[in-house]
Amino acid sequence: MNRIPLASVARFVVIAILVVFAGFPVYWMASTALNVSSQLYNTGQVPWPQLGNLPGLIHELGQVPLLRWLVNAGVIAAGTSVLSLLLGSVMGYALSRFRFHGRGAIGFLLFMTQVIPEALIVVPLYAMFIVLGLLNSLEGLVLANVGFSMPVTAFILKNAMDAVPHEIEESALIDNCPRIGILTMVILPLIAPSVAAAAVIGFFAGWNEFLFAVTFLGDPKLWPTSVGLASFIGQYEVPLSAVMGSALVFSLPAIVFFLLVQRRIVAGLTAGAVKG
Amino acid sequence: MTGTAGHQTVTPGRGRRRTVHLERWLPYAFVALPFGYLVLFMFWPLTDQMLMSFADTKLMNPNAGKFIGLDNYRRLVADPQFYTTLRITIVYTVLAVLFGVGLGVIAAFAIDRPFRGRAAVRAVLLFGWAVPGVAAALIWLWIFNLPSGVLNDITQAMGLGRLRWTNSLGLALPSILIVTVWQVSPFVMLVVLAALQSVPEEVREAARIDGADALNVFRNVTLPHILPTLQLVSLLIAVWSIRRFDVIYLLTGGGPIGSTSTLVVELRQTAFEDFNLGMASAYGAVGLVLALLVALVHFLFERHRARVMSR
Repeated sequence: MNRIPLASVARFVVIAILVVFAGFPVYWMASTALNVSSQLYNTGQVPWPQLGNLPGLIHELGQVPLLRWLVNAGVIAAGTSVLSLLLGSVMGYALSRFRFHGRGAIGFLLFMTQVIPEALIVVPLYAMFIVLGLLNSLEGLVLANVGFSMPVTAFILKNAMDAVPHEIEESALIDNCPRIGILTMVILPLIAPSVAAAAVIGFFAGWNEFLFAVTFLGDPKLWPTSVGLASFIGQYEVPLSAVMGSALVFSLPAIVFFLLVQRRIVAGLTAGAVKG
Repeated sequence: MTGTAGHQTVTPGRGRRRTVHLERWLPYAFVALPFGYLVLFMFWPLTDQMLMSFADTKLMNPNAGKFIGLDNYRRLVADPQFYTTLRITIVYTVLAVLFGVGLGVIAAFAIDRPFRGRAAVRAVLLFGWAVPGVAAALIWLWIFNLPSGVLNDITQAMGLGRLRWTNSLGLALPSILIVTVWQVSPFVMLVVLAALQSVPEEVREAARIDGADALNVFRNVTLPHILPTLQLVSLLIAVWSIRRFDVIYLLTGGGPIGSTSTLVVELRQTAFEDFNLGMASAYGAVGLVLALLVALVHFLFERHRARVMSR
């Protein structure tokens, strides 16, 4: 009789510890953002969020170029997402619907892109972008990001397409509808939830990216939020509440969307490794 | 559309042959653009990186470099930092897998069975995974802060004093590992949860009726069922650890004295702060070998499992 309550108490203690470890840093980010900076260093941090300081925080955020960083990050993210979808859907369709020489090799190479560290191609891309005039441009950054995000998109869409019965497109083929029309007008609408998930994953790959952005974008006007936030480190003119407030604004969309599409992200990231 | 259909009825034979001919090349027409893209922006740069490791390329003019054979590699193996870097990369990767997978599995088992508020708990447990790396680095830098960080308030209250988390030789790597585990364990939890939910309840029930206790059910039913998942997720965490740049670079910058400098951090610093592209490329070659090794281990496991399952 005694064992059952003991086991469940132990379980809830474990859950409580996990919740504190996982949740505290995000809570602390919000709490710090709502502190007055002089408090943070002198009288000590007030641990609970002081919502009364929200207008002050908004004023402070107006003093840093957060809006421009967010717009740049949004442009990079949207570009990465759209180009990944365009290329990834065609690739996914080919892998799902055709049996051809080299199919296995292409699957393997797509898997390899997920193993290669970004840092391994940062120097040659830098050299290539000098020649192509893509250094210090958001377009160049998108082109670099897509190499890593497109294979994920292709795997997600291929898996979704595998579940679409062939009969559906065979009737369209008999009507002499071109293949690319079948893909865009028949298949993709049928797997719309997977397309949406792939779009979100591509978007946040671009939104979060740091290594390429900090290396290729020397001009502060072009910085996305990741590079802008990193420039706060070791610099003491910007109040800490503004730093944490910016980090919070940067994180919130990612938290919301990751929680919404979590299952599909997991399926997508593991698919390439299982079937590649 | 009607035009081509009419054409087909007039000369059925020719039309069919043309279709067959087209069908054979069709897959390549589809693959050409996305694959060409990968060659241009991924595989060619990778090849170029390997070529650069045999040249004396400078950052000021990275498209001109003279062939110098194995000189970069000779300098690499003579540099003590190289061995530190290699050791740090492997230690960091192994520990990230061990603790990340360990904590993720514990979390998955803790919230596997329903309880009130599970949805909210599950959402909170995913925070570390959802927060962008740069934001995570900023939060944790503040938590680790020496004079005002909350973690040092706690250690001081415990009588341990205030600790130099991110910039002391003993604590820099553990600090990075804490942040890494915070980031990767939620992903492990999600994947393991999905696997746990696919364990057939009847089998567990049957084992229990046959007199198996909780530990036995776990060892003989649950564990074999989730083992392939654990293997896959360990591979992914290993790969991500070898790739991870932002958190390490921002938390410690690879320091103090190179004690947290993994291959990718060392490569980026050597190239863009020491302007030594040749040495950086040699690091890149080592990194590629490491990544390929992890992939190879995964493929051998997968093939082994496919064989066992087809038996």
